[in-house]
Amino acid sequence: MSTVLNADRSIVGSPAEIRITDLTMRYRTVSGDSVLALDRVSLAIQPREFVCVVGTSGCGKTTLLRIIAGLVRHTAGRVHLRDREISGPSADVGIVFQGPVLLPWKTVLENVMIPVVVLALDRDAHRRRAMELLDLVGLSGFEDKYPKELSGGMQQRASIARALVHQPSLLLMDEPFGALDAMTRETMNLELQRIVKDAAITVLFITHSIQEAVFLGDRVVVMTPRPGRIAESMTIDLPRPRELDAMSAPEFGSYVRAVRRLLNARGMTH
Amino acid sequence: MLRLRSERSALRGVRDEPLPAATEEGERSERPSRAPRWLRSNKIQIFFFTIGILLVWQFVNEALRVPSYLLPTPTAIARALYSGLVDGLFIKSAFITLIEAVAGFLIAACAGIVLGTAIAQFAIVERLVYPYVVGLQSLPKVAIAPLVIVWFGYGFSSKIVVSATIAFFPVLVNVIVGLKSADADQLDLMRSLNASRWQKLRLVQFPAALPFIFAGLDVAAIFSVLGAIVAEFVGSQAGLGNLLLTFNSNLDISSVFACLILLGLMGTGLHFVIQLLRRRMVFWSGEDEVRKP
Repeated sequence: MSTVLNADRSIVGSPAEIRITDLTMRYRTVSGDSVLALDRVSLAIQPREFVCVVGTSGCGKTTLLRIIAGLVRHTAGRVHLRDREISGPSADVGIVFQGPVLLPWKTVLENVMIPVVVLALDRDAHRRRAMELLDLVGLSGFEDKYPKELSGGMQQRASIARALVHQPSLLLMDEPFGALDAMTRETMNLELQRIVKDAAITVLFITHSIQEAVFLGDRVVVMTPRPGRIAESMTIDLPRPRELDAMSAPEFGSYVRAVRRLLNARGMTH
Repeated sequence: MLRLRSERSALRGVRDEPLPAATEEGERSERPSRAPRWLRSNKIQIFFFTIGILLVWQFVNEALRVPSYLLPTPTAIARALYSGLVDGLFIKSAFITLIEAVAGFLIAACAGIVLGTAIAQFAIVERLVYPYVVGLQSLPKVAIAPLVIVWFGYGFSSKIVVSATIAFFPVLVNVIVGLKSADADQLDLMRSLNASRWQKLRLVQFPAALPFIFAGLDVAAIFSVLGAIVAEFVGSQAGLGNLLLTFNSNLDISSVFACLILLGLMGTGLHFVIQLLRRRMVFWSGEDEVRKP
């Protein structure tokens, strides 16, 4: 707990991309029980920082993301996106969900253009941007295909392009590669690193893979469940760009062990 | 030959690669058939099966001397169908019934889609209107036909009203279910972009509902013919239903069968039109093969 406070104090006063203060979320289940999904969570994320939130299922990490996305209203506490308090979804945020969530009746390009259509942005200018993004995520030549014709990894890349098309300052990713096989997942991690660098964007990345979190994050936030709390916020001091070989480096291993120890310390199942 | 084939298919099972010599039909059936290749197609088999039934019908009917006012022979039905078509009576009647059914169908489709959308979109409409929908749906719609004849007379309009009433409910129910079937994640995506109700409907809910809507339209197409015929039974001056009653009371059963064939063709035709539209509009649905450009 003290580490959290220290981590937060060090950045007080600086212009954070997201500032979360004493965020509490209480659900009422169907049977009438009250569940504390998030308990006084505080977190600040700097512009262009890549923060991974790691924790087992039920630790409230997805709830945290949905609150920041404005999809769920929190019970208590405050969430600021730059200087504005969040009261609903914002055009400044792009979201990548657990699945690709592409509309099967639209082509890849049309899917990427969805935020442009909904937000009523200039279509011609953004079509060019959408094509550039499809190129960036390695899907040039596939813009007129339908989602069904793409592999799972390719679909998820298209959804990343869609999340970036309206030039949000914050990218929220909710276990985006959880459904992919291990090989594809590693490739996607490498490419995400490159995409994020090019897009110059702040990222909040939710995962339950410790390796993935350490590989991608400038910082790894460890959450523990019942009630959902932040156990530790750990800066990952590894050089970038990180290659897959970096995962076998001793520093990488010690970060992974440290995160695992934090998760296990709270009585987690191994 | 037989042995060779089974050995090859065993090999294929292991290596999981298609035999160069295997035909499409051979791939489909596990047991190699002795029948000549031209007989193995599904359509050919159905054709010959049907011919077989008709032949048995013809001969049994003639051998047992079944009176034609009970069950006419296939040839007698064919003769009745031919003469009815040639003198134009069938064409004219079928055309009248078809117009009634199609008009009823179109009204039902539009009304079903509009009201279904309103019920799925607005809680207040659902609260006020849905109980009536449930109540009316459990009512056998055919029972209102005599009343509709009293209100709308013996002409086209009463047939169209009955047809539309019967065809309306399958569309309505499927529109409501379809609009509510939209993927929660896709709706979250829309919500995360602050999409308006109309944008959500246009971009996600309506396309997602299309497979359901087409299932409803398919049923509605058949029901619209049913409605037109029932209304013609109750009171009419023309149409296939009217013709059916006339032939029936004259015990001209061959012509009755001819009318039934025409009605069957009409229903099948409408079904095919709907399926054609569905394949064009719901090409992305899982039922069809992926379109490879």
